[in-house]
Order: sequence, then structure tokens, then C-alpha cells
Amino acid sequence: MKKCLKQILKYYLKYITKIVLFVHRPTIIVIAGSINKPFVKEEVKRILKKEKYKVRANPKNFNTEIGLPLAVLSLPSGYNSFKDWLPAIYLAPLRLFQKSFPKFLVLSLGTSDPGDIKYLLSIIKPKIAVITDVTQRYLESFDNVDNLFKEYIQLAKIIPKNGLLITNNDNVRLKTLKNHSKAKSISFAINEKADYQTSNIKKNLKGTSFSVNNGSKQTVFQINKFGNHHVYSSMIGLIIKTYVNE
Amino acid sequence: MNTDNFKRTKNLKLSIIKQIELKAQKYTDVISLAQGIPSFDTPECIKRRVVRALDRGVVAKYSISPGLPELRELIELRLAKENMFYDWEKEIIVTAGSIQGITASILAITDPGDEILIPEPTYTSYSEVITLAGCKPVFVPLNEKQGWTFEIEKYEQAITDKTKAIFFCNPNNPTSTIYTKNDQLKLAELAKKHELYIITDEVYKDFLYNSERIFSLAEIPELRKIVIRIYSFSKAYAMTGWRVGYVQSDESITKEIIKVHDCLVTCAPVISQYAAMGALEMGEKDLKIFNKEYIKRRDLICKRLDNLNHVFTYVRPKSAYYVFPKINPKIKNSDNSFKFVLNLLSKTHVAFVPGFAFGPNGEGHIRMSFGRSEKDIDEAFDRLDKFFKVKK
Repeated sequence: MKKCLKQILKYYLKYITKIVLFVHRPTIIVIAGSINKPFVKEEVKRILKKEKYKVRANPKNFNTEIGLPLAVLSLPSGYNSFKDWLPAIYLAPLRLFQKSFPKFLVLSLGTSDPGDIKYLLSIIKPKIAVITDVTQRYLESFDNVDNLFKEYIQLAKIIPKNGLLITNNDNVRLKTLKNHSKAKSISFAINEKADYQTSNIKKNLKGTSFSVNNGSKQTVFQINKFGNHHVYSSMIGLIIKTYVNE
Repeated sequence: MNTDNFKRTKNLKLSIIKQIELKAQKYTDVISLAQGIPSFDTPECIKRRVVRALDRGVVAKYSISPGLPELRELIELRLAKENMFYDWEKEIIVTAGSIQGITASILAITDPGDEILIPEPTYTSYSEVITLAGCKPVFVPLNEKQGWTFEIEKYEQAITDKTKAIFFCNPNNPTSTIYTKNDQLKLAELAKKHELYIITDEVYKDFLYNSERIFSLAEIPELRKIVIRIYSFSKAYAMTGWRVGYVQSDESITKEIIKVHDCLVTCAPVISQYAAMGALEMGEKDLKIFNKEYIKRRDLICKRLDNLNHVFTYVRPKSAYYVFPKINPKIKNSDNSFKFVLNLLSKTHVAFVPGFAFGPNGEGHIRMSFGRSEKDIDEAFDRLDKFFKVKK
């Protein structure tokens, strides 16, 4: 019974979300990969907000078959309570008439099982995709990393010609992802050569300082956070900022 | 057997709290306000997260030693909301509860013979862990008259060339005091001056009764190379049995702590790490419900203590779930809290923890936990009223 209700809810939310997206036509940026998704998502959201765009991103772990539609529609989860699901069920179609729907949706995509990305891409059509990294993490349901990588190939294929694929050149597999996409591709890296590349990463008491080099352009950062994942996030934020302002 | 055996453990004592619990078990109708255990069960959302992990078959293997990356990412995000910025990859270690994190930290930063300053009264197990590490706990009394606050000059006096760290619990167990930002910063100045580490155990930091924000020294970037912060999911999320918490500090310190952590437990229980993920992802609502309940219980226990004002005087708890009343010196055994507690246990079948268990300055007090239900608190105090002959 519970499983049956879950399936009904899943498809109800899916089709309402598809209609809402068709009506409002926001630009969808997806963040996928094994690690660093929440930090990249927050950074991209911060950058776009700073550029005065209206942005919506998925809260917490709302990045699965039911979580993603809830994130798009900005609705709460009822978790395990039928009663708590009623507000979401009632409010979902009303999002069609939302006056100021966000211009950008920044959505991280969960990939725990084969087919997850395919299902999520049957709901949303992203214009920009970021793939952070591909590692052993979340590998339980995949035979090997190559099978997990196939999920990201599907994502690369769906990005339109006028879209953007952003990939991590520090990962050997991701270096080749652009070969599967018709979209423009921009790479970033800390260790390898890339379109956007860092130098002078230094930890200091205030956080981390580093430079991002893009051709002859250099941007210097001082962030109040620690760890290379924030260096990656800042680079991705810079790439998206440059793209949306072009 | 050679009498030289057990050198490391012969000076350790089984926690007084555990001793009291063992004695209390003899009485079938006992009400224990002794051990600091929440009366609530672990929230449903956390259990569901664990069931999902079990169904997916991801809990049977070790995690990497510092813990599941996805959990440490969530911890970093939570810390950032609280103005603390730490790198999940290198500066956060998931531990088997706070006490294992404390043990690993102390073993990493000290050498045998070092001294560690602990404000007292404070949590009983601190001095045992310090002793286990071959170090000496040095008690520095808190000022009861000023609401159990630090007296900085007493720390200055207690520092010797063997002092390695200052170790405190904020909010404090058993006094439920929240140390002010100003007092903590003064202590940090002292630590910097004498090149000492600061270990801050913040397992009760989610217990907010007056919308007062609890400041942590781990928020100050300039202190990150001396501050080790400990947190546990046990108390806030009613997860004492899951044994999961974490340590955060600068990479220069965590790279040493991780070596000890690996020797002690390899990794925190993976099933509990998934429970901790559930707590961080979905536990906020339950945290608020628990806090509301604890406020009701705090108010109830204070009201009941007011009726016993000829026996106890107390400082109203600002956080945690303990009250630490002083026994009126005119009451029998007031200067021997252990005897006082044992007498109460045998006559009323209500268990408390004697104040001396928390350090010399705790003598003459008892610790009462309001982690138990309102019904239990009422029943315990009905018995105390009868014993101390309070007129209705």
C-alpha cells in the first residue's frame, strides 16, 4: 500500500513539475558527481544571487526522484507521514501560477543506482551541467566506476548545443566527457591543465587564498573556508558567472 | 599474578554515576534522575535513514577511518551555519561518541606527565581519561556565587611548565552553565600566552532554553591551531546508544588525532554514521520538539526544588538537562554528598549523582537530571517531599 502511494506521489510530482517548468522556463543548472555537490550548489547559488538573479536550489538532500520535484516546486517533504504530504500535494499545481518563478534553478542530482540520472533527466532539461568528480563513493549499486561514469555520459549528451558542460580535468574519465556532448565544454582543475586552473593555493588563518587563471586573465580569491573542495567550488562559480554575463 | 600489573588502570575508578546506577538497580520501583539519558527514543526520521542504509547493504563494511565522506560533508555544512569553517576532508573526524573523541585527542596532544586544567565541577569521566593517558588532571574551581563561572586568575595560578591543555564542557555538565563569549576569550588569551591547547566539549550546545546563542572558540579562525572541538549526537538527538560524534580542529592537530582514532576503533560504527546523517538531514524538527519538552521539565524541576528550599538552593539551568543544587548545610550528610545520595536512594528509591563525583568543588551538591519524563520527575519529588516532610 505504502509502495503504491509512493509511486502515485512520484508520478504526480513528476508531471506537475514538468508542466510548471514548461510554463515558467527557468534556466536549469545541474550539479552532479560523487563529491562536493552541496558546496558547489551553494557557491553557484551565492554567485547568481550576487548577480541579482532570482535563484532556487534544492535544500539539503532533495535530489532524488521525489526530492528533486519538491526542490523545483519549493515544497516541503512529508517524509513518512501521509498527513504531512497533503500541503505539498495541494500546493504543487498552484506553482503553475507563481508570479515570480526563479530565473535559475540550481539542482544537485543524486546518483545512487543505475538509471537514477535517466529518471531525473526525464523531469528536467538542464542547460548547464557541472560534474564535480567521479570516485568510488556511491559505487555499491554499480559494478564499477565505468558504469557509474555512464550515468554522467547521459547527462553530457542531453545538454543542448547552446548550453554548457563544466568538467573537472583532475579526473581522468571526466577529461573525456566533452567527447559525448554537443555543448560548449569548459574544464577546471587544480593539478592538471584546464581552461580554468588554480595556482598559489595557500592556507592562512583567514581561510584559503588562490588565483584562478583563464587564458591571460587572473582572478585572485581569498575565501573564509578551508579545503580544496572550496577552491573547486569557487572556480565553478567563476565559470558560471562569466557564462551568464556573456 | 605480578602486583606490578595494571599500572595504567589501577588508579582509574569506575564512574560514580555507573556505581550509583548499579546500586539503584537493586530497587524495583527506583526512579533514576542520575544518568544523563534522554527519555525520548531516537526520532523516526533517523531510524528510517538507518533502515534505508541497511536495505541498501552499505553498513556491513568499515568506512574510511575519519568517517563517511557524505556525513563529514554534512557536518561541514552544519558547522558553517554556526560560523565554524572546517575542511571535512582533513579537519573533521567522526568518532564513536564524544568520549572516544576526547580520548583520542588527549592521547594525541599529550605526553605522560603532562597536566590538563579542568574547571570543576565538571563531567566525571574527564579526569579518568586524563589519568588513563598518564597525565594529571588539575582541578580549577568554578565560581558558584556568580553562577558557576570561570575565574581567570585561578587558571593563571594553576598553569605550570607541565600544563598542556585546558579542557572544559560548554554548556557545562553538571551545572548547565553556558560560558560567556567574553570568559571563553579570556581563557583563550591565556592559552595562547602559555601555548596550551583548548579542548571544548559541546555535546549540550543544542539545548537552548533562552534563545541564547552558544558561542564556541572554534568560531575564531586565529584560534583554530589550538582549539579542539568535540560534539556528540547522543544527547541532542536522543542517540546515546548509537555512539556517534565528531572531533574538529585544524589539520595540524587532526592529522595526529586520526592516528589514535584509527588505533582505538578503526572507524565509528557505520550504521551509526548513517543515523548521524539522518539527524543532520532531517532531525531539526525533533530537536525543537525535544527542546520544548526540556524547557517544561526544567521549569517543573525548578518549581519542585523551590518547594524544597529548606533542603536545596540552586542556580537555574540555562542549558543541558541537569540541575546541581547545593544541600543546606543544616541537613544531615550535607558535607558528604555520597552518603546523602545513598541515604536518599535507600529511603526514597530515587537516585541522584553525588556532587563530589564532579570534582572537589562539587561536594555538598547533588546532580539531578531532567532528561527523564515529567511523570518521573513528579514521582521522584513526591517521594522527596515526603522524606523531607514538605507540607502540601
